[in-house]
Parts: sequence; structure tokens; C-alpha cells
Amino acid sequence: MNKLNVFFTCAFLVAVVQFGSAQTIVGSAHDFSGQSWNTTTEICIVCHTPHNADISVADAPLWNHSLSAVATYTLYASGTMNSVPGQPDGSSKLCLSCHDGTVALENFGGVTSGTNFMSGDALIGTSLSNDHPISIDYDAALALADGGLHNPATTSSGLGGTIAEDMLISGKMQCSSCHDVHNSAVGTSSLLLKSNAASALCLTCHDK
Amino acid sequence: MVFVWLPLMVSAQSIVNTKHNLSVSGPGTVKAVSEAEICLFCHTPHNSRPVAPLWNRNDPGATYTLYTSSMLQALPGQPDGTSILCLSCHDGTVALGSVLSRPATIGMTTGTFMPAGVSNLTTNLRNDHPVSFTYDAALATADGQLKPPGGITPPVSLANGNDPHKNIYSDFLVATSQNSNLCNSCHQRTYWTSSTHSSSTRTWNGVAPDPWPYTDPAMTTVAQNACESCHNPHNSGGNLMLLKYQAEESNCNDCHNGNVASKNVTAQFAKTYRHNVTGYTNVHVANEPAAVTTMHVECVDCHNPHAALNQTAVAPNVNGFLTGVKGVNQSGAAVNPAVYSYEICYRCHAGSPGAPAAVTPRVIVQNNVRLEFAPGNPSYHSVAAAGVNTNVPSLIAPWTTSSRLYCTDCHASDGASSPAGPHGSIYPHILKRQYSTADNTTESAAAYALCYGCHNRTSILNNSSFGEHNLHIVGERTPCNTCHDPHGISSTQGNSTNNSNLINFWTTIVTNSSGGIRRFDDQGLYRGRCYLTCHGENHNPLSY
Repeated sequence: MNKLNVFFTCAFLVAVVQFGSAQTIVGSAHDFSGQSWNTTTEICIVCHTPHNADISVADAPLWNHSLSAVATYTLYASGTMNSVPGQPDGSSKLCLSCHDGTVALENFGGVTSGTNFMSGDALIGTSLSNDHPISIDYDAALALADGGLHNPATTSSGLGGTIAEDMLISGKMQCSSCHDVHNSAVGTSSLLLKSNAASALCLTCHDK
Repeated sequence: MVFVWLPLMVSAQSIVNTKHNLSVSGPGTVKAVSEAEICLFCHTPHNSRPVAPLWNRNDPGATYTLYTSSMLQALPGQPDGTSILCLSCHDGTVALGSVLSRPATIGMTTGTFMPAGVSNLTTNLRNDHPVSFTYDAALATADGQLKPPGGITPPVSLANGNDPHKNIYSDFLVATSQNSNLCNSCHQRTYWTSSTHSSSTRTWNGVAPDPWPYTDPAMTTVAQNACESCHNPHNSGGNLMLLKYQAEESNCNDCHNGNVASKNVTAQFAKTYRHNVTGYTNVHVANEPAAVTTMHVECVDCHNPHAALNQTAVAPNVNGFLTGVKGVNQSGAAVNPAVYSYEICYRCHAGSPGAPAAVTPRVIVQNNVRLEFAPGNPSYHSVAAAGVNTNVPSLIAPWTTSSRLYCTDCHASDGASSPAGPHGSIYPHILKRQYSTADNTTESAAAYALCYGCHNRTSILNNSSFGEHNLHIVGERTPCNTCHDPHGISSTQGNSTNNSNLINFWTTIVTNSSGGIRRFDDQGLYRGRCYLTCHGENHNPLSY
């Protein structure tokens, strides 16, 4: 039977659609210029400022949004997981400054009195137990131990370089490993880094 | 925009080319109409339930009918853990395309639910291998035929991260089922590794029914199919012991009908006189007492399919075919396993309800075969001990008066090429050869072929022992069975004077003498006298 499967697989063709143009944040789900709670009507300012940025998160990109005060998130756990997710760190903390639902959306640029909070599908909450783990050190050793993950140092991301180069930050899997907050890959929803047709995004790392 | 067709070379060990790829690109028959994502049929990166492993499907919420068995030591509960996740497709109650992360149910080409068939276990898990039970050292000890889980070496592919995502072996198995390697990871059946069923290279001749309908077609021998020659871990037809078929003998017949095994046993059971294995269903219980209390017979009452060996033996020892079967010994005590072949017969023929009554009305009536063969008896055929009479001139070599007999030397399938054993015969009482009992039978080699197989016809008819044999058998056309009681006469009823030489008269043919006596008196070697009337001849007495 397995031999047959291999045979069929070899004959299996998939259409890959390539688009020539890149998207921008303009008009994306992260373009808040038209939101009633954003009285500035600017786009970038909700997250970034050219001056006097919040530097409490290492390498934070000129951060302008109030950070979440939540110190302890409930983490994902599984008996079959080899990685050890820690409390969200790095850029994921920036995402959670809106998406954990504890900080008002308009609390940026020094504002602290906002009343509009994240809701709906985009609300992650402070329990990350039902979310893909983040802030994981993802290296060749983890891939070997897990047996169901590709080696990030040698596996192509499909985006030009390796997984480690294109999808990890300082060797860690973060929100940005799957999501491009500024540019949703064309043909995807949820601001995905690349198309998930045929679960291509998942299967970039997961050797399933 | 540029459209490029690229051959997608996927690894053989990827979900992409397994039936668990339910997306439109999946290779199986159960797949989506247009949904392109693969992982989402089970997983979601956000808002999963249960949280691990980021599950994206609804709990079926069903109450399942669980496996049960008189032999089961484990206590299966309602499916939980990862098993309930599997059942969120495989019980057939949850729409395949219903996932938490999609507001609308994803359209599937084969209908909403898992199609009926081997992949749909339904909510009846009565016919499936039990799941969701605690498997610990205590269970292994209680069961006696399970490995302690701490001692189990994980199947090789588990160590390599195999799971429902990779169909390395067929049916997403975590190890090869060839030679029941997977089953044997946990099950250590007594006798199994040395049994012929675990090593036979016999193959199926292709004549229906397929004895191995669910296993990988690449597994072509009995040894390769192993457990699955009889058992089916899912949707088994038999429920009990997860046997393929409910009728016990059917599990044996699809190999022992001439299509796989060298001899056709099934055909024997079509004969008029037989152990009627087809006449009972689900009466046999695996852990029933050695002495059978509810009348029935199944192949497994005499054979242990986990133990059976293609190996001969010398009477009275059990041969390989009867290895590992419980029995009742000559003292009436249960033994497991039986050491002597007759101990297996005694399971039923030593006083169990429904055992056939003696068909010949005799002076001394005894239906318990164990008592008929008891070594202390005045006379008996040498099943349980060497015979009493040391002067039997008719015996054909290599038989001697110290030889031991199997029950099956007389009771067996007729026909020289038939499989050994008392499966079925054209002759009454499942006798191996003709044994005419009708009064006034004309003597011939054929008429008493059973007796003449060991007792030389010429010797008998030349009156080498009883001086009037020829007169009685040829002249008066009296069958052997009229005077001789072939099993023996119990010491509790007979004595060495009146019941030596298996003498126990047939009462409707042999009546009282004019003196009102019906009796044989042994008067020493080849000498005796009879008080009786037979064929109108009054013996009052007549001596020889």
C-alpha cells in the first residue's frame, strides 16, 4: 500500500499561484486610520512613534502602544510537546499589548484612559492555553527531540531563506513567525506571513 | 500575475499524501469539495478546544457502548484523552467539515459524516479493541498475558515520531502489524511464539472467502497475518474476543476449509456424524470450567489456536494440535493444560450434561467414559492405562498388549486422507471405519473394519482366543458389539469374573438362559462359560 502511495504522490501536481505585487499595511486589518477610537487618523501611530518610544521590551521597534501589565499568562501545555514555552517575550509582548484584551486600543502615545478593547476572533485573552505556543526556542535540537519538526537552520521557509532566517527572532518562534503585522500575504486572511493553502504555513515547520 | 504549475514532491511520510489529508488535495475518497487547508480539519492555532493538541473539532458528546469480555481484566471507560479526538470523526456523529475555526461547515465530497465502513467505528465500541483504560503493572499481572507497560519497547516508529499524520504502515499504525508485531508489543500470549499459527508460511489459494480481508494485502502468509487471521481489532464481526465472526468455528473455517491449511477440516463437519461445532454459538466461554457444564462444542474446546503445533506424539500424550488445552484427568480433576489426549475428551464425555448416552442397552450401563476406561476396571481398551489382558493373539504389530490407545484410534474422521481427529465421519459415533452393529450382519472385512484394523481378522475367525468366535461371528452373524462393550466395564459395576475381555451383553439380543441367568464366567486363559439365550440358542451354561 505504501508503495502505491509513493507512486501516486509522484504524480501529484499542485498549482502554485504567484503574485508579483506585495501588499502594504494600508487597507489591512492593522490599518486603524478609520477607526472611531483613533482620533489621530494616522496609521502607524497606534504602534510606533519616531521619538520617545517605549524601550522596556528589548529591540521593540519604536513602540508607542501601552504595554500589557499582565505578568503571567496561562501557557499552552501538552503531553506530547518537547518545547518549553516561557511567558511571552520579545515582539510577542507587543502584539499582546492589544490582543490580550487588557489594554485599551487607543492607549498609545501616553493615553491611558481608553475604553475600546479588543473583541471577537482577534482577542487572544490572557489564557494562551488554547493558542499555538510562542516564545519558544526553536532550534535543531528541538526538531530532533520532537521528531515532527523540521530543522529551522536548514529548512527553507519558502520565503527566500531558512525558517530561522525568515520566521524566527533570535531563534525563537513568536507571533511574527506566522503573522506579518504589516502585510498580509496576498490570498491569505489573518495577516499570515505566507499562504496557508494546503496548510503550507503549518507544514513549513511541522514535519507531518 | 504568473501562474506556474510545479510538481509538489511530498515525502512519503507526510500527512499530505495520506487519507488524513481531508483537504481538496487529499488522496483519499473522503475529502473536501474545495477547502485547501489540511491541518484545520483537526487543529487551529488559536481558540482550540480541547486546548491540546490545539484541537479544532467538537467533542462528539456521545455515550459509547464499550467492549466487554469475560476474560477482560482492564476496565475501559468512556473514551477520553486523544481517543475522543479520533472519535470526533471516526464515530460518524460529527460532521467531518465541522471545525471550530470555520463558521460554516466545510463541504465534503462523500457526504457530511464519515461514510459507513471500516473507518466508521460508530458509537458501538463493543466490537473494537478497548481504549481509555489504565494499563499498568497491576493490569499486566492480573491478566497474565500482557507485558508490564514498563517493559514494553516502543515500536520503532513511535520513537521516530510516528502518529496519525504519517501512514508509514498501513492504517496509520504505529508499528508494522506484520507477524502481529504491533499486537505483540503488549500481548504476550502463552504458547504463541512457539505455535504453528505464528510461524506457518501457508498462503491463501484465492478461493473466497478471503481469510484476511482487512490486513495489508502484502501480508500473504498465516505467520504474517498472525493475530488478524482470527481477530479484527475494529468492527469485528464477533464482538467476543474481537473475533472476525460471531460463529466461533467460522474463524477457523476460512483457513481450515482447504483454502489455506493443508487439510480440509470444514468438510468433515458436513458429515452425518460429527462434533457439531456449527450447532452452538456463543455458548462456549473462554474461561469456562474444564468439565463442561453447558452442552456445546467448538473448535476451541479441543484446540488452542494460540498454542497448536503441527506435531505428532505417542499415545496417550497430547499431540501438537492439542497443545495448551484444558482437560479433566482420569481422577476427575481439572488440568490445564491436558497432558494426555483423553483428558480433553473427558471435558464432555465424563458426565457432562448432554453427553451422548450409551447407544447399546447393556447389562451394565455406564455413560461416563472416564469410568469406563479407569485402570482398575476388570477390562477396558487401553486408553488410560495398558490393558488388563496380556493374551491378545489377534493384535496386529506394532500393537501389543502394552500399547496405549488414543480415543482417536477409533473415533476419527473416516477416509485415509482426512485430517486426524474426531471431526466428522460417515460412520455413527464418529468412528473411523465401519463398525456394524446390526444383528445378523454377514461377516466381512468391511463390516468390522474398525476392529479388524488392530485385531487380525484371520486370528479372530480362526478362534485363536475365544474358541467359538467363528461360530458366533460368521455362523450366527453376531456383531462384535453384541457381546463386547468396547470402552470398558467400570469396577464400580462389574468384576473380573463376569466382565473380563470387555464382556457386557447387549440385553435386547442376549437374554436370560432357561435358568434365568445372563452371565459370562471367566475360567482362565481362553476358557469360560456363558449363561444366556441368543438367536434361540439356550446356553445354560455352555463352556469353552
